[in-house]
Amino acid sequence: MTQISRNLPLALKGAIDAAVRDLHQRVPAAIGCVIATVDGRLVSHVVDNEADPQRIAAMIGSMVALGETIGREVRIDRSQYVVVNALNGTLLTQRVPSRKELFVVSTLARPTTNLGMLLHETRSTADVIARAVDDWLDQHQARSAEAASA
Amino acid sequence: MSEIKLLFAGPMGAGKTTAIRAISEIEPISTEVANTDLIESNKAETTVAMDYGELTLDTGDKLRLYGSPGQKRFEFMWPLLAEGALGVVVLLDNSRTDPLADLHDFLAAFDTQIGAGRVVIAVGRLDSHPHPSLDDYVAAVSRRGQFLPVVDADVRQRDDVIGVLEVLFEQLNALDLGDSPGANEGDEWMRFVDQARVQ
Repeated sequence: MTQISRNLPLALKGAIDAAVRDLHQRVPAAIGCVIATVDGRLVSHVVDNEADPQRIAAMIGSMVALGETIGREVRIDRSQYVVVNALNGTLLTQRVPSRKELFVVSTLARPTTNLGMLLHETRSTADVIARAVDDWLDQHQARSAEAASA
Repeated sequence: MSEIKLLFAGPMGAGKTTAIRAISEIEPISTEVANTDLIESNKAETTVAMDYGELTLDTGDKLRLYGSPGQKRFEFMWPLLAEGALGVVVLLDNSRTDPLADLHDFLAAFDTQIGAGRVVIAVGRLDSHPHPSLDDYVAAVSRRGQFLPVVDADVRQRDDVIGVLEVLFEQLNALDLGDSPGANEGDEWMRFVDQARVQ
């Protein structure tokens, strides 16, 4: 467990962990699912092969940032997701679309998995996590405002 | 215990990949490919996206060590990799054509971190190429109105790299790091939330 995951509010960490497990079960031939902070710190993972989740987290943070930079540079606007299509599997990574840019989500699957399915399921999970993050932010801001007025 | 992100920056061939490899306790992530720019350097390979390694300190704190590509054409990667970094080590190679120009390029690129006093400069290959001297570097930094530690380092030597990080941490400890929002002081997650960009 990393420092960032120790400090995550328990309710939010629980929602992210549940979303990751659910994604891993929904995707046919899934090898793993990883959530990282946008700067590459591991938050939650289910990985079936020997790949190191900490290292995946570091790289998917860079991948998403690099994809977005390239998207801007070549004038095709904001990158939606980044795909690595390899001989023995596919890695799809995208940002979690919460109001604040905090996390990226990545799904790793065997080549038998359809890319469209992978994209759909990963995007659905990113949306679920985004709602959890936004709800937590709303509650946190409400508590802060309440404390300030007291 | 916490995790601390550090960035090794500097021109091509300065030893960023070597430095991370010298101290990382894990097999580093590397994005080296064949170097086709033999005018810039005669190295066989060069980093094109990032290096990554890890080092756990005696305190239990984990250092996450990132290395940037050195060529100017990869400068778009520098701010991406510097995001969230507590400190930056700028590695310079005294055998290059104009290492003081390299110094100015990288000080300009990492102006934000320098403004916060989170940078140390490490100069390599001083034995074989004594000029410019460390004093020349200090003077060049000073002329920019900045004060930064400048040290000699052979990044192939683990002890030298550790020594550079010790200087960086002394520099960081000397800073007043109490500029985080008071209510969230000490809570790494809340600092992260506060600093995150908005979609």
